[in-house]
Amino acid sequence: MRRAYQFFLLLYPREHRDQFADEMMRVFEEVSAERRAQGTGWFVRFAFGEMQGLIAGAAGAWIDRDRAHPVPAANPSHGGLPQDIADAQQRVDLSVAGMVHAIANHQFERARLLSDEEREAREQLRILREKYGMNC
Amino acid sequence: MRHVTIQESQVNKPLTEPVLLILMSLADRPRHGYALLKDIEKLSGGRIRMSTGTLFGALKRLLDDGWIERFELEDTSRQKQAYRLTGLGRKQLQIELERMKQLTRAGFARLKTVEAM
Repeated sequence: MRRAYQFFLLLYPREHRDQFADEMMRVFEEVSAERRAQGTGWFVRFAFGEMQGLIAGAAGAWIDRDRAHPVPAANPSHGGLPQDIADAQQRVDLSVAGMVHAIANHQFERARLLSDEEREAREQLRILREKYGMNC
Repeated sequence: MRHVTIQESQVNKPLTEPVLLILMSLADRPRHGYALLKDIEKLSGGRIRMSTGTLFGALKRLLDDGWIERFELEDTSRQKQAYRLTGLGRKQLQIELERMKQLTRAGFARLKTVEAM
């Protein structure tokens, strides 16, 4: 059960894991021990609820993360967003959308692949923003 | 800038049940994750058993919005991190409870009107 929980935690964005993973695991273990003592039925119901909560939580965390790091508005004197930045942002958006979809459909391996892709796309976007002086 | 916009837009927006219960649980004293889950179960009369995914998702949003803050516990218990309400969080809770009170009053008033007919 601990392993399954750790696996599902990998679906969360890295910042969320860095901030909460240890604490989530500790709370999960305490509640888990308590439910196990209450009987198998309680424990199965609890385990199912936890997995559902983690899947929904991971999808929500990716959506929140995407909203928290939008591309800064283009300087009007630039005549709109440079095409390469717009493309890079689109790659980030598509990866996040794909990840949320994969998590919602329980395609966890695919979600992890998309998570790597999203990280690369975001890094590329950061480099381009720097190039155009858009990091303020 | 985004931070301020979110807070302004949430002033009159009803809180979700997990958020409301977390704020209520932290209203009288700080609590760590496990204590929050237990207290929420008690507050809801056993109706709500929040999963850790739901709890920590809501805690992260509340931290990002500045409604609660996280601090290190000094005791040696297994749970090291605890959460407490900020002034802003307390204000948001008061606004939400007032909104619910007003709605409840209006609902009962309607019921009485129908019963009197």
